[in-house]
Amino acid sequence: MDAFAVRTVGLIKRYGRLLALDALDLAVPAGSVFGFLGPNGAGKSTTIRLLLGMARPTAGYARIFGTDAQDVRVTHRSLAYVPADVALWPQLTGAETLELLGRTGPGVDRGYRDELVERFALDVSKPGRTYSTGNRQKVALVAAFATRAPLLVFDEPTSGLDPLMEREFQHAVAQARERGQTVFLSSHQLAEVESVCDRVAILRAGKLVEVADVANLRRLHRSQVEVTFAGTAPQLDGVPGVEAVERVGPTRLRFTLTGPPAPALRGLATADVTALTIHEPTLEEIFLDYYDEVSR
Amino acid sequence: MTAVDAPAPQAARAAGQTGAIHALTWLAVRQIRRGAIVVIVLAGGMSAMVATTYASTVGDTMDAAALAALAENPAIRTLFGQPVALDSAGGFTVWRTGTVLAVVVGVWALLAATRITRGAEDAGHWDLLLAGRIPLSTVVMRHATVVVTAALFTGVSTAAALTATGTPAAGATLHGAGVALVGVFFAAAATLAAQIFPHRAAASGATVALLGTGLLLRMVGDGVDGLGWLRWLSPFGLTAISRPYHDNRALPLVVLALASSALLVAIPAAAAHRDVRGGWFAPRTGRAPRLRLLGSIPGFALRRLLGPLTGWAAGVGVYYLLIGLLAVSMTDFLADNPRFADLAAQAGFAGLGSVEGYVAAMFVLLAIPAGVFAAVRVAATATAETDRRLTLLYAGPVTRLRFLTAETASTATGAVTLTATAGLATWIGARSIGAPLHLEAALAGAVNVLPIAALCLGAAVFALGWLPRAVSLVGSLPAVGGFLLQAIADSTGAPHWVGTLSPFTHLAPVPDLAPNWTASVGMLITAGAVAAVGAIGYHHRDLRT
Repeated sequence: MDAFAVRTVGLIKRYGRLLALDALDLAVPAGSVFGFLGPNGAGKSTTIRLLLGMARPTAGYARIFGTDAQDVRVTHRSLAYVPADVALWPQLTGAETLELLGRTGPGVDRGYRDELVERFALDVSKPGRTYSTGNRQKVALVAAFATRAPLLVFDEPTSGLDPLMEREFQHAVAQARERGQTVFLSSHQLAEVESVCDRVAILRAGKLVEVADVANLRRLHRSQVEVTFAGTAPQLDGVPGVEAVERVGPTRLRFTLTGPPAPALRGLATADVTALTIHEPTLEEIFLDYYDEVSR
Repeated sequence: MTAVDAPAPQAARAAGQTGAIHALTWLAVRQIRRGAIVVIVLAGGMSAMVATTYASTVGDTMDAAALAALAENPAIRTLFGQPVALDSAGGFTVWRTGTVLAVVVGVWALLAATRITRGAEDAGHWDLLLAGRIPLSTVVMRHATVVVTAALFTGVSTAAALTATGTPAAGATLHGAGVALVGVFFAAAATLAAQIFPHRAAASGATVALLGTGLLLRMVGDGVDGLGWLRWLSPFGLTAISRPYHDNRALPLVVLALASSALLVAIPAAAAHRDVRGGWFAPRTGRAPRLRLLGSIPGFALRRLLGPLTGWAAGVGVYYLLIGLLAVSMTDFLADNPRFADLAAQAGFAGLGSVEGYVAAMFVLLAIPAGVFAAVRVAATATAETDRRLTLLYAGPVTRLRFLTAETASTATGAVTLTATAGLATWIGARSIGAPLHLEAALAGAVNVLPIAALCLGAAVFALGWLPRAVSLVGSLPAVGGFLLQAIADSTGAPHWVGTLSPFTHLAPVPDLAPNWTASVGMLITAGAVAAVGAIGYHHRDLRT
């Protein structure tokens, strides 16, 4: 099996004159939990539709475990999908929908499915039309996790779930990771991405702007540093990575730090520092930085 | 707020309210305008065509004795309605097109009404609208009013066409009013049903059943002498007993108008006390799973087919049972009145003097429901794709081609079942009155129309691949368009080749004559080729999920 669960090369999708996806190169290592972020309209759902073979690329290609994404008979044997807005057959009950998806899908672990139904507190006797948005999502999530497929593709899977179910979802993702399944998670719930993902990609206007491990991503971005000192203030002018130096009191200083901290620490050593706090940015703050760049 | 500045905001609110109502009207108009234009043009066009060609097709063949014979025959009265003024172009047009036109307008009005009210509400399109300041009952009534207005225009179009062709204005007006009121009645009934039933399919189904019952009451009332009063209970019966161009009775239409008004008045009352996305009948909130036919894509296609097929088969079966029951009465009449047999032969129905000739002529009409059924089923697949119900199935290891094959095969099975039901029903009807009709002959005649249904299926699959918004329209074209083309070409003396474009021209009257195998095979090959082109489009296009 290919080392990459998902791989796209020069993937382009145009809708008429609109360029929805601009030469996307993406590699998702097998066994990782991969977050896929971006503002509305960035091209996340388009990418997922191309990965699933539901839309045809204008140029470039996408591969799932080494097989072209268009060959759905092969690729869909090793993936399960939960769309952003789940629509069910109105006359089929939850149990009937799960049976249909289990028998036409890539296989099903019935024992695990029953366990998931229990854990997600899903009433499967109700017809599809009576389910709320969250319950429709639960049906699709149970069906997807129960396949035990090597790749799980989730497009904003928890937008309608309550915090309790959200926790169940994160638990199920962790279990999938332990089993060696790959998870491709497009989400706006940044706290969720931060807690479950190993790596994230950030998409903006159809282009990839960042791919990094969640830990590295933080390091690449500005941290807030606050120092308290006795006597003269430390000299930080011209120190690489230090910006927005601000005096917040007679003995306190605040600045932002980007990149390795060594030069800044050397600068601080010139003064008698009595306290030092470094606040790493949350994913949300990093993401908002990208948002700001979009609006600028 | 003080008394001084109160009027200004009130005026602003009133202006805003008017604007909102205008926007709502425009929303409803946008959703039905295309279909409405087709029906309005069809109503005027059909009436004008029959009225202008009256002299050349019927002309002097009608004398008093022939008319009396026609009016006395219960079979003629049952199928086509009571002929009352065949000696005039207007009266003949009413008899020839009146029932068909009323059914077309009624069916269109009821389907349009449930689609834009309950259908939009079901799909959640109204959620944002109803979060605004316009209440549910106003939204429902505004949509109903737009459909009712369109139905009234079909009447105006009919009356205008008949007046323009020189028939008396009183009869034209009365007939136009009858057609319009049937449309109004079923638009109102469908909107009311959409308040009572929580789903569009149930609301449409209930109103179609009401329409079928109304048609049946008209047929029985026309056909059986002692039961003529039944026509007062049916919209179709009421238009029949208004007798345009003969007695010009207004009272039955007043009754129909009052009944329609009562339905319209009941709508806001029914809408006022229900939940949005709910109805008076609450849907069942839970049941044990029924796992039959959920194990595979073809199985699931079959499962989705069974409900609609049962409804179609019931409607078609009842109609053809009636055709069988009337076989002897009809053929005796035509054998005794050769003038009408000649007339029918001119209209393309030769050999009506024998039972086999009669059922063969009637089976030709079966191509229309069979073809429309095929088109509508493929259109349902297109809708399921747009509504994203198919998304999770497409995410399974199933190629689009396999999926399409399963859908097409189940639809074809449905079309075969539908025609076989018609054949069987005709045979049962004919046998029960002792008419000489063999089961094999009845079945052969019924399945003989399948090539046209196949053309419809092929056209629908083509549209699914290349024009997914117009599947039912393109799919119905070979059957409905073909039938109209042949009728127009026959009655207007168009060049020969125009008629040959219609598949009906190539359909042999089975069981009266042997099937036209060359034409049938040709149609099946054409259908297959068109479907294959559609499959290529379906394979290469983006799914509309």
